Amino acid sequence: MNTNLAIRFLKLLPVGIITVLLLGCEREMDDLKPVSYPANPYVFIDGFSAGLNYAAFGGSVPTAFDVDKKVTWNNSAASMRFDVPNADDPRGLYAGGVFYTESGRDLSGFNVLTFYAKATQSAVLNVVGFGNDLGASKFTTEVNNLQVSTSWVKYYIPIPDPSRLTQERGMFYYSVAPDQGKGFTFWIDELKFEKLGTIAYPQFTILNGQNQVETSFIGVTKAIGGLTSVFNLPTGVNQSVNIAPAYFQFTSSDPSIATVDATGKVKVIGGPGNATVTARVGSVVAGGSLVVQSQGAFEHAPTPTHNPANVISIFSDAYNNVPVNYYNGYWAPYQTTLSSDFEVNGDHVLHYTNFNFVGIEFTSPTVNASGMTHIHLDIFLPNTLTANAQFRIEIVDNGSGGTGTYLRTFTVAQSKQLISLDIPLSAFAGLSSRANLAQIIFVNVSNNIPSFYADNIYFYNDGTPPQVPTTPAPNPTHQAANVIAVFSDAYTPIPGTDLNPNWGQATVVSQLQIQGNNTLKYTGLNYQGIQLGSPQNLSTMQFLHLDFWTANSTLLKVWLISPGPVETPFTLSVPTTGWSSLDIPLSSFAPVNLTNVIQLKFDGNGDIYLDNIYFRKN
Amino acid sequence: MRIAYIMASVLLASFGCKRDDFQKLDERNWQLTWSDDFNGPAGQLPDSTKWAYDLGTGQDGWGNQELQSYTKSPANISLDGDGNLVITAIRSGNNFTSARIKTQGLFAQQYGRFEARLKTPYGPGIWPAFWMLGSKVDEVGWPKCGEIDIMELRGQQPHIINGSIHGPGYSGGNPVTKTFALMNARFDTDFNIFAIEWDKDKIDFFVNDFLYQRITPKDVSGEWVFDSPFFMILNVAVGGNYVGFPLPQTPFPQKMIVDYVKVYKAAD
Repeated sequence: MNTNLAIRFLKLLPVGIITVLLLGCEREMDDLKPVSYPANPYVFIDGFSAGLNYAAFGGSVPTAFDVDKKVTWNNSAASMRFDVPNADDPRGLYAGGVFYTESGRDLSGFNVLTFYAKATQSAVLNVVGFGNDLGASKFTTEVNNLQVSTSWVKYYIPIPDPSRLTQERGMFYYSVAPDQGKGFTFWIDELKFEKLGTIAYPQFTILNGQNQVETSFIGVTKAIGGLTSVFNLPTGVNQSVNIAPAYFQFTSSDPSIATVDATGKVKVIGGPGNATVTARVGSVVAGGSLVVQSQGAFEHAPTPTHNPANVISIFSDAYNNVPVNYYNGYWAPYQTTLSSDFEVNGDHVLHYTNFNFVGIEFTSPTVNASGMTHIHLDIFLPNTLTANAQFRIEIVDNGSGGTGTYLRTFTVAQSKQLISLDIPLSAFAGLSSRANLAQIIFVNVSNNIPSFYADNIYFYNDGTPPQVPTTPAPNPTHQAANVIAVFSDAYTPIPGTDLNPNWGQATVVSQLQIQGNNTLKYTGLNYQGIQLGSPQNLSTMQFLHLDFWTANSTLLKVWLISPGPVETPFTLSVPTTGWSSLDIPLSSFAPVNLTNVIQLKFDGNGDIYLDNIYFRKN
Repeated sequence: MRIAYIMASVLLASFGCKRDDFQKLDERNWQLTWSDDFNGPAGQLPDSTKWAYDLGTGQDGWGNQELQSYTKSPANISLDGDGNLVITAIRSGNNFTSARIKTQGLFAQQYGRFEARLKTPYGPGIWPAFWMLGSKVDEVGWPKCGEIDIMELRGQQPHIINGSIHGPGYSGGNPVTKTFALMNARFDTDFNIFAIEWDKDKIDFFVNDFLYQRITPKDVSGEWVFDSPFFMILNVAVGGNYVGFPLPQTPFPQKMIVDYVKVYKAAD
């Protein structure tokens, strides 16, 4: 190695002489520069270079790195040895650390970090790079999954823009995990920065090289991602390099429309108008661009005014949202929809692009929207529709409720207009229960909605009493031995009972299931009888129990009848707020003969739901 | 590149008197006998009065297990409109197309200076060449006809070219050959001039007029077969036993960009 050093100095000598000659004789004021940093290219040749320190990463084996004087490249004096632990090593999970200097070095005269490496086996070095200084680490540059073999081979990590590295402290870093649980050893030698004419074709992209066009508004911010960099190495192969965003110098074609900061964060500040954001690294223009088509001021969706007590919010800045698993499930393999959500002055907006279908999921826990009457959402179509569009909303119940669907037409005229939807949950065909809601799905039925914004997605109760009960009557708790039942799922009713005898009434009688519970319904009540299967002796019974529910009845009476007929009404309080459960003392029906009751009768008006009609003891 | 090249000359000049003498060549008065500057509109095929095609996959991948199929499609070979000929190797899945053109039957010459100014393609498995075969190839076969490789390059070493001759007893993997390497640059990132100067006594190989190899009849182990007219060939091969397989990381398409080809004879 010493001989190699000598040769290097020999090579440098003539260059030095030429430099001196070219620089001329007079020193001018222009030559005086601010503090300059040493341009020392050597990191580790046969030992630590000047000012070099080492620190292991947290969680790694602290002693993974050592100087090796036996296994070296080209029989030089020393190399760097790294012992990657086995997966179960109590000292640490991996080998990793940083070689850094206390004060910076000027690396602007070089274009690549090179080293020789080999390992005890063919292995993958997960991360090797430079620019980590244990501080801001502004210009990290790393190669991932570098394949090394059991013989010494030279490797290259190109510097994307050397002019930025005038006081770099991060000389080298690495992070290497066990190979399928097994540790191994690798060596690195001759670690140094070089200027090579054989590093060619630097290529950079923003947004993965795509030219994106986005409708936007004043106040919208967006981070530009998809930053990539590729170099062709002296071996003719292309090498991807992970580089820090700080290498990219972003430009907006019209800063009065949109600004872009050093980290690639775009902020729309004016409009209507367009601004194109591009980037370069050094003198190389990056592929890809973002055209911001600012529409001017954002039309915020109106702030919802429903009482938070009557709201279950999925996505809104106005309410506390329930836990949501995701606003875009990226459902493979058929979903194309991407998310490009944004924020305008604190107002978060969902933005679905490349739309075919997309689902929002909230299963932790599921949502019981039984007490809700509507779903609200605000939609905005930023692209002008080419034709009227069919937009389907699906609500999925993970319990017994199934999936409810609702189809909506958006007209061309509604393009670029705020569309506020308030849809009764009863309009979702096929949704028989909403006690365990889990998903909301949007579907591009006519396939001509490229993208849309969504905001203020929530279920609410609009305050008007529901016209139908959404929950069943409470389950009776009396012992069956103490009960004579007329209508109830909880007890065996009197055999042969006719729930709809023809007494010339106008009332329509039906039965329906409410969450699996059989319920009796009178539609358009004038009067309605029940013929018991046999005359009943109720002398040991004390009460007539009734559960009844009505939103629109203003008069409702229940009658007991014994032969004669002898009949007595009892007036029920209507309309109800939810289910009314009542135990009417049988004494209220005097002078009906309680030892021989043959019929019941209801009269009044409206639509009545009835359940758990039975006589009981105390 | 140019600076590196000059530096190399400077170093050689200061360190080696012998090499310096080697560079002293006889004064020659070269007279242009044939040339193509590849002027013409973009997308046009090269001048058919000057160039013919080798098409398809040849026998056994042109004798070298090469992977490409040669076409005369403008996608593979055409003028670029800026005075260059572009031969493009294209990957389509596991299939490769490229182009190979020759002056066979249109032009051949015995002795003189043959040169091309070109930029090579690059990448593992890419094998560009500017070379010549004896016109008697169909009559006497290869290698008896003789082959002169003015420039061939392995894409995995884009800073190194080889100049070689093949003949009976010194062909295939055993030619008379020498490499020329750029110190800190690549042949694919700039134009370079590759040439031979050939007379009855020797063949001299040049890169940018730097003589890096002289082959004389006493340097070959077999018969000297370089005393008849030869025709020129330009091609970009993919794969083959000289260069190995292309890798997934080999960038495609790959282009050889030829500024001109010129042939001179020594004026009397």
